[in-house]
Amino acid sequence: MKKIWVIVVNVLIMVAMLTFVVFYSASESRNTTQRQTEHFENTAIVLEHVTENYLEGEQRICDVWARYINMKGMTIEEAVSFIRTSHVLPNVSAHIVYLDTLSGLSTRARQNTSDNCSVSYARMDLLDDVSWINNDIGKAINISRAYTNPVNGEQSISFCNHITLYDPEAGNPRQAILLRVLPLAELEEKWVFPQEEFESAELSIIDSSGDYIIKGHSFKNSSFFEFYRSYNGTDTASTQNLFEKITSSTGSVAILNSRGKECILAYTPVAAAGGWTLLSLMPMKDLNVSTENWLLIGFVSAGLLILFVFDLAVILSINKKLQATAKEAAAANKAKTDFLSTMSHDIRTPMNAIIGLTAIAEKNPGDKESVGENLRKISLASNHLLTLINDILDISKIESGKLNLSPLTFSIVETVENLVNLAQPMVKEKNIDFNFRVSRFEKEYLYADQLRLNQIYINILSNAIKYTEPGGRVSVDMHEEESQNPGCVKLTYVVSDNGIGMSPEFMATMYQPFSRQTDSRVNSIQGTGLGLAITKQMVDLMEGSIDCQSEQGKGTTFTIIMDLPVAERQREEMMLEPMDMLIVDDDELLLDTAAETLASLGVTADRAGSGLEALRMIKDRHEAGRDYRVAILDWKMPDIDGIETIRRIRAEVGPGTAILLSSAYDWSDIEDMAKEAGANGFIVKPLFRSKLYDKINSILGTEVKSVDPENDYSDLQGMNILIAEDNDINWEIISALLGMFGITTERAENGRICVEKMKQAEKGAYSLIFMDIQMPEMNGLEATGNIRKLADPWASSIPIVAMTADAFSENITECMNAGMNGHIAKPIDIKLVIKEIRRIREEGKS
Amino acid sequence: MKKLLCVTLALCMLVLLTSCGGKQPEETTAGFKPVLDKNTSCKIVVTGSYDNFEALEAEFDKFNEFYPNVQLSYVKLDDYNNVLGTVLEGKDKPNIFFSYTWMAGNEQYDSVTSLMEDLSDPALKLNLDCIRPGLINRDAEGHVRMVPVFSRSYGMLVNKTLFEKEGLSVPSTWTELMAVCEAFRGKGYASPMMGYSLKSSSCFMNTVAYPLFVATLAKNKEALTLANNLDPAAGENMRPALEAMEHLIQNGCINLSECDKIEDNYTQVILRFFEGDVPMMICAGDTVSGTKKREGQSEAFTKAPFDYTFAPIPMTDEGGYFIDSPSIQFSVNKGCDNLDMTNEFMRFLVSNEELNQMASVKRLVTPTRDLTFDKVYAPFGQVPADRTISPEVLGIKDRLVAQIRVAAFRVGKGEMTIDEAISMYGSFE
Repeated sequence: MKKIWVIVVNVLIMVAMLTFVVFYSASESRNTTQRQTEHFENTAIVLEHVTENYLEGEQRICDVWARYINMKGMTIEEAVSFIRTSHVLPNVSAHIVYLDTLSGLSTRARQNTSDNCSVSYARMDLLDDVSWINNDIGKAINISRAYTNPVNGEQSISFCNHITLYDPEAGNPRQAILLRVLPLAELEEKWVFPQEEFESAELSIIDSSGDYIIKGHSFKNSSFFEFYRSYNGTDTASTQNLFEKITSSTGSVAILNSRGKECILAYTPVAAAGGWTLLSLMPMKDLNVSTENWLLIGFVSAGLLILFVFDLAVILSINKKLQATAKEAAAANKAKTDFLSTMSHDIRTPMNAIIGLTAIAEKNPGDKESVGENLRKISLASNHLLTLINDILDISKIESGKLNLSPLTFSIVETVENLVNLAQPMVKEKNIDFNFRVSRFEKEYLYADQLRLNQIYINILSNAIKYTEPGGRVSVDMHEEESQNPGCVKLTYVVSDNGIGMSPEFMATMYQPFSRQTDSRVNSIQGTGLGLAITKQMVDLMEGSIDCQSEQGKGTTFTIIMDLPVAERQREEMMLEPMDMLIVDDDELLLDTAAETLASLGVTADRAGSGLEALRMIKDRHEAGRDYRVAILDWKMPDIDGIETIRRIRAEVGPGTAILLSSAYDWSDIEDMAKEAGANGFIVKPLFRSKLYDKINSILGTEVKSVDPENDYSDLQGMNILIAEDNDINWEIISALLGMFGITTERAENGRICVEKMKQAEKGAYSLIFMDIQMPEMNGLEATGNIRKLADPWASSIPIVAMTADAFSENITECMNAGMNGHIAKPIDIKLVIKEIRRIREEGKS
Repeated sequence: MKKLLCVTLALCMLVLLTSCGGKQPEETTAGFKPVLDKNTSCKIVVTGSYDNFEALEAEFDKFNEFYPNVQLSYVKLDDYNNVLGTVLEGKDKPNIFFSYTWMAGNEQYDSVTSLMEDLSDPALKLNLDCIRPGLINRDAEGHVRMVPVFSRSYGMLVNKTLFEKEGLSVPSTWTELMAVCEAFRGKGYASPMMGYSLKSSSCFMNTVAYPLFVATLAKNKEALTLANNLDPAAGENMRPALEAMEHLIQNGCINLSECDKIEDNYTQVILRFFEGDVPMMICAGDTVSGTKKREGQSEAFTKAPFDYTFAPIPMTDEGGYFIDSPSIQFSVNKGCDNLDMTNEFMRFLVSNEELNQMASVKRLVTPTRDLTFDKVYAPFGQVPADRTISPEVLGIKDRLVAQIRVAAFRVGKGEMTIDEAISMYGSFE
C-alpha cells in the first residue's frame, strides 16, 4: 500500500473516531442535560412543596391570630397588643388596618420613633382591592405581593386575613385587614435552592398575570411575562401559549435572560396559593456537561494527533531504514553478484591454466623440460586457487561471526621465515627491492593463533608486492616492544612500498569485502578483494590495530600492532663466544639492527656499507693478523654483490674468515655460484637473534658440507609412516610424494583399521601417523583417541599429525585436543609435510 | 504533494483542537475604564417609582461586564414619595434613588435631600458635561444633588406614513397646523389631532396649553413670580394658551368625543395611535416611552406598521416649544453601603453612550446634548435654543403646573370659559 493511502486511512479512522466521540459526547451531553433538567424540575417541585408548607405555616399563624381576635371582639389596640405578646420573632411585625380607611396600627413603632405605631396603606394599591383575601379564615393562603412596608421601608410580603374589630367610638364592629408582615430580605436568604449543584438557580413566584410576588435577581421587569417578551423574540400567540402553560402546569422551558444567555426555566404551580407559579431560573451552561465533553474530545483529538504524528514519524523512519536497508541489500547483492562474477573469473583463470597446462603436458610427455615448466605453472595456479578458496571460506566465517581464534605456542622466527619464503617467489618474479628488518626480538615463542597471524602478515605483504610495479621497493620492519599487558609483547609489523598507492575514496571502503584497488599500471592483479577485509577482522579479533598511510602513486604503509602473549617455552640463554665479526649491507637500518642483535649475543660487529668496503676491511684485518672470524655479507649490494665480494675475499685474503651470505631473496639460483665463490653458508633475512646464534655456531663448529640441510633428505631415509586415508587418490598422492623422499608408507583405509594396525604393530614399526579426519567407520579424531588409550606406551605415544581438508583453526584446535601432535591442511604442500616430519622427529629426539 | 497533504491534515487537526477552546470574553463598553478592584463583590440597589426599569437593568448587565461580582438590582417602592425618607434611613438603605426637582427646598424632604451626595464633586469624575445644561439643577452652594437620566417634554406623535399617504407635510407652524387639520378633515378624518381627555392628569389640553403658558411666563419674570405664588393676577397669562387649545377643539382639529373614547392616558393613547388613522396624537414624552414595547402588542400596527415621530406642537407661527424638563433624576445616598462602587456605577452611567442607550430602551427623551440618535425624538433636536425652555431653570414651581393643567382641562371640556378659568387661577386643586 502506498504511503499516501496509509495516511489517508489513518486520517479517516481518526475523523471517524472523533466524529463518534463528538456525537457520543453530544448525545451524552443531551442525556445528561435532560436528566439534569428533570432533576431541576423535580427540585423545583420539591421546593414548591417546601414553599407551600412554609406559606401554610405562616398563614396558619395569621389565621390563629385572626380567629382569636375575631373571637374576642377586640379593639384595634387590644388586637395589636395581643399580637405583640404572642410572637417573638424580631423581624416579623403585624399591621392591622381598617378596611374603610386603609390605616391602622403596627405592632412595631415607626422608624425613628418609639411610640408612633400608626400605619397607612391608603397611598399604595395593595389593599385597594382585597378580593384576593379569602373571607374564610384558614381556607386559603392570603399572601400579598412584595411591597414596601410603610412603617420601616423594607420590602416585605404579608399573610393576610379579614378580621372584625370592635370600634369603641362607634360601638360597632369594624372590618379590618390583619397583615403578618415578613421582610423579603430575610425570606430571600432562606428561600434558596436546596441542591448545591443548582446554587446559581434563582427563584421567583408570580401571580396569574405574571407579576412577581417574589422576584429573583435575574428576573427583570415587574412582570415575568414582560421580562420574557423583552428578551425572547417570539410571536404573540406562542408567547401567550407559553404563559398559559407556565401558569397551569409543571415543566421547564429554555429562555434567554437579559444578557442573552440561554437559561432553563422550571415552573410549577404553587398549589396552596391559587394562580401562583413558582419559577426557577438557571443558566443552561450550569446544567450542561459539555465542558467536560469538549475536554474529552480535545484530549482524544490531541491523543490521536500525537499518535498520528508519531506513527507517521515511525513509518517514515522505518521506510527510511527500509530504503537504506534495501539500498544496502541491493549494494550487497550487487557486490556479491560482482563477487561471483569476479570469482567465476578468478576461479576460471587458474582452472584454465591448470586444465590447459595439464592438456599440454599430456600431449608432450616426452618433453621433460616442457612438462616440468607446465607442472610448475600448474602448481602456481593451484596455489592461487587454494588461496582464493581459503579467503572465500574465511570471509564467509567472518560474516557469519563464526571466526574463532585457536592460540598455540609458535615461533615468530619460523613465522617470519615462512613469510619470507612465501614472499620470495613474488619478489623474484617482479624484481622488487625487498628488505625485511627485525630488531629487538627477545621472545621467540609466542602464544597466539599462528595461522591467523600468518594470514594477516601474508595478506599485507603480498598486497604490497602485488601493488608494487616491477623494480619497485617493498620493505618490512618488525620489532618487539614491551607491552602494557602483563605477559605480552607488543609486536609491530610495518610494511612499506612505493607501489600504486590508494585513493582516499578507496581507503574509505578498503576494509569492506570484495573491494580491490584498480590501476592501469597494475592491470593484472590477482586477488579476491577479500584480503584486507579478512585482515581487518582478524586484527580486530586479536585486539590489535591496523593503520594505513597511503598516497596515490607514491606508495602505501601498513602498520599492524598487536599485543601477543609470550609462551612459556623460550630458547635457552644464547651467548656467542667473543669474536671479531663484520656485517656488510647497503641497508644502514639493517646494519644497525643486526649489530644490535649481535651485541645482544655478546659479539661486537664491525659494519661495512658495500662489498668493496668489506673487502678492504677484511684485507686490513688480515694484514694486521686479526682476521674476522665471521663475516655476514648481503647478497644484493649496489657496487659489487655479495658473491663477487666473497670471490674477491677468497682470492685476495683467503679462507680465514667464515662467510655467511644473507638475503631475503630466494637463493636457489645462486646457491652453486655462492658455494663456488667460497661462501660458508646462507642465512635468511631477517636476521633473528636465534638464527644468527644457530648459524654462527654452526659454521664455526664444522666446515660447510651441505650449506642447506633443507635439501638433504637423508635424515628421512628409512622412515615408515602409517597413513590413515580413505580416499584412494589422496593416498596415492601422499604415498608417492613421501616416496620421493625415501619414506615408506602403509595405508589404513579408515580410523578403525588404523587403530587395529597400531594394536598389532611392533614397537618402532611406524615413525608417525598421518591421520585423515573425515573417514568412514571411525573418524580421525576418534581413532586418535583410541590410539592414545592403547596399552603399549610406544603405540599410545606415537606422533599423530592430522592431514585433512578441515583447515580452519578450530579444526586444528580440535585435532590437538584429540591428542594429535600437528596439523597439515589439504591440499598438501610437500615442503610443509617434510618440515612437519622433521619437526616431529626433532621433538621426539628432545 | 504528500508533505503538503500531511501538513494540511495536521493543521485541520489543530484547528479542530483549537475550536474546542473557550469563547473569548465579549467586547466591553468602550470609553469606561474601571478604577476599582474588578473582583469587588457587593450589592447595589436602585429604588424608584417605576414599576419596571428594564433600561436600567440592561445597564446593570453592561456594568457587570466590568464588575461581574457586583449585584445590582432595581426595587420599586410603593408610595414612593412618602416612604422614600423612611427607606433611606431604614435597614435596607438603597444606594441610588429617584429624585425630583421639587424635593429641593421642600421641608418634607429635607431628610432626603440631606442624604444626597454632591455629584459635581470633581473627585467622582462624573461627566456632567454630556447633559444639557438646562436639565441640571444646582443648589445654592452650586452642588449637583440630582443627575437627570431622562427628560420630559410635550408634543404630538405624528404618523408620518399617513401624512405621506395623504400627500401632506408635517406642520411646523400654527398656520400649517390649521391647514393640515383642514385637509385631513376634508379627507374624512374625524379628528386629525387626538389625545387623552377623560381626566386632567396627562390630558391633551394641558399638553397643548402648558408649553405656551410657560413660554408666556418666560417672557415676563414678574408674571412668573405671581404665577408661582398662585396670585390670581397671573391668571391672565394663561389666556394665549387656553385660547389656542380651545381653538383647536372649536376649529375641528380635535374631536373631543373621539378623544373621550380613549380610556387611559398611557396604553390606550398609544394603541389608539397605532390604529393608524390618527395623524397627530397629543401626549407627553412619558407616553411616547411606551410606544416601542406596544408596537408588537398592537394588532393593527403589526399588520400595517408605519413610520412615526414625536414633535413639538406648532402652537405659534414661529413653531412649537421644547419644554425641556427632567423626568427621572438619580441621587446617590451618601449614607449607603458600598459608596465607592455606587459612585463607580454613576460614573459608568453618566455618559452619552449609556444615557442615550437607556433613553433608547425606555424611549424617553435623553438628557444628553445629542437628541438625534433616536429618530422619534429627532424633531426636538431641531428646535432652536430660544424656543427651548427649561421650567426648572426658569423657576416654575410645581403648584403652578397644577393650575394650568386643571384650567386647560376644564376649558377644553367646556366646563368653564377662558375668562372663568383665568379668574380662578390659584384656586384650582
